[in-house]
Amino acid sequence: MRWFVSLLLITLLGLVQGLSSTGSRLLVVIEESSEKAQYSTFWDDLEGKSNNCRGYKLTFESPKNDKLSLFQHGERAFDHILLLPPKSKGTSFYTITGDVDLPSSGLGPALTPKLLLQFINQNGNILLTLSSDSPTPTSISSLLLELDIHLPPDRDSLVVDHFNYDTASASEKHDVLLLPQGSRIRSDVRNYFGGDGTIAFPRAVAQELGNSSPLLAPILRAKSTAYSYNPKDEAEVVEDPFAVGEQISLVSSMQARNSARFTVFGSAEALENKWFDRKVKSVDGRDSKTANREFAKQITAWTFMEVGVLKVGRVEHHLSSITGDAPGNDSVAQLGYLNPTIYRVKNDVTFNIEISEYSYDQLTPLKVDASDALQLEFTMLSPYHRLDLVSISQTPNSTVFSRTFKLPDQHGIFSFRVNHKRPFLTNVDVKREVTVRHFAHDEWPRSWEISAGWVWIAGVWITIAGWVAFVGIWLWSEPAYEQSKGKKMQ
Amino acid sequence: MPPKRASQISPNASVPPIPKAPSSATSSSSSKSSSAPTQTAQTAQTVLFDLWQRYLNTTPQRVKLIDVFMAFLVVVGGLQFVYCVLVGNYPFNAFLAGFGATVGQFVLTASLRIQTNPENKREFGSVSHERAFADFVLGSLILHFFCVNFIN
Repeated sequence: MRWFVSLLLITLLGLVQGLSSTGSRLLVVIEESSEKAQYSTFWDDLEGKSNNCRGYKLTFESPKNDKLSLFQHGERAFDHILLLPPKSKGTSFYTITGDVDLPSSGLGPALTPKLLLQFINQNGNILLTLSSDSPTPTSISSLLLELDIHLPPDRDSLVVDHFNYDTASASEKHDVLLLPQGSRIRSDVRNYFGGDGTIAFPRAVAQELGNSSPLLAPILRAKSTAYSYNPKDEAEVVEDPFAVGEQISLVSSMQARNSARFTVFGSAEALENKWFDRKVKSVDGRDSKTANREFAKQITAWTFMEVGVLKVGRVEHHLSSITGDAPGNDSVAQLGYLNPTIYRVKNDVTFNIEISEYSYDQLTPLKVDASDALQLEFTMLSPYHRLDLVSISQTPNSTVFSRTFKLPDQHGIFSFRVNHKRPFLTNVDVKREVTVRHFAHDEWPRSWEISAGWVWIAGVWITIAGWVAFVGIWLWSEPAYEQSKGKKMQ
Repeated sequence: MPPKRASQISPNASVPPIPKAPSSATSSSSSKSSSAPTQTAQTAQTVLFDLWQRYLNTTPQRVKLIDVFMAFLVVVGGLQFVYCVLVGNYPFNAFLAGFGATVGQFVLTASLRIQTNPENKREFGSVSHERAFADFVLGSLILHFFCVNFIN
């Protein structure tokens, strides 16, 4: 059985030769196969026919297909899913019998929220695209709600911006937003979606991210003049819009605890061929070409684990004193003192960790921002030390971070832990357990080495000397006592 | 009422007697007080001296030796304790060993004194002096062994 599994793994490895760090089997869920042609450039980019590297193996399936299944023999049948919005007007093609909890309107029995979450739990990545032209199925809304991503309650809502729209194509409706390519959401967060281009976002669906979930991060926000409204609404003035300004997230990301990625892309239309290299004109009259193609590549690259994937290499720790006369870790390994299972309290210990970052097609050294830090915890239930790791050397593929510190004066079972969780980077949680023992009996300093105790040492010996003198005099003075005794006897 | 009357009367009545009486009294009392303490001090001195003489005359030689040793232990232990109070108890085991050695030795010596004092012969008649001394030596050796080991 074992050899069969390894053989299977080897064959699978042979198949999986794409750019993504996790796998190249991509399921594209598209309802009408006739619509496929509209996204042909996007597919070509994913398959890497034009620029020969990305190498995804695309499987196009309709949600209507009964034989579609995300899992086979309990394992994921695909590594990534790209969900395109269903064209059907929110009608229930599939009424799932038996399962009462499922909403009637959905993407079919193979793509229920439960199965999609199970897919994420098994480290599958999902890119979900929305469109205001086709209403979002309730099953998708409820899935997003579970992830604390909120969609407008009325299904036809779209985002408009009267100050940042494309005058060439949406001079009336103002519903094609022009946005600069993403800037960093926070100064210490890595930006994988940057660039100088302009992105055209036609008829986008607004998302609002909940405050409570640390797993969510917006990738692209609307400008402060944007708002979401329902064009079917007859009213002249929009009252109480679902979301306004930078509250609106047009592209949002959710990275689960197992680092599986789920991206919500607000406008499926932005991925179509016609928007990939189109001339747009902003309100102030500047002509520019859309950068949608590059942005689509950035989004898919991040979602499908091509960038922002951290890989931990060697994790080592040893007594610092050993490196004194034998420089470098290799010599420590040769001496056989690497990664001992036991230390003593107050030992000076050096911890090294090698981390690389996967970037499109290669492992690169991880660079930690100056305002951020990779931290090491020395922890037993709670951290006794939380220290910044310092990068000491770089290989072409990795950075070695190191830190030397004194163990706390507390014995027990500790662990070295590097727990690095940052937006857009996969989670790193490395633990190495060690025992920390107390001082052995012969490891304490001898009494005479502590000068403060000399008085008491002298006290003991003076007492002993006095006692010896006393015993001597006692024995010597015996006859005198005998006399007195004798007198008394008489 | 009576104090009021007295106050009213006092200016009318003889003024001189009132200051006179106190002055004489104070003078006499001061002279007496100066003499009385010297007398008591003298008696205390003599009592102490007599006590000391009596101690020197009647106490057997060995009991005196024991008393000298115990006084020595009190001094040594006291000095160690003062040092601990002034400097701090950092090698605490050293303090415990040093101070404990004097205290323990004091206790052992005191029991030796009780057992070998001829005045306690009635109570400890069954214990010979040799036996008491042997116990004392054995106990002391064990104490010293512990203290020296404890101080590391």
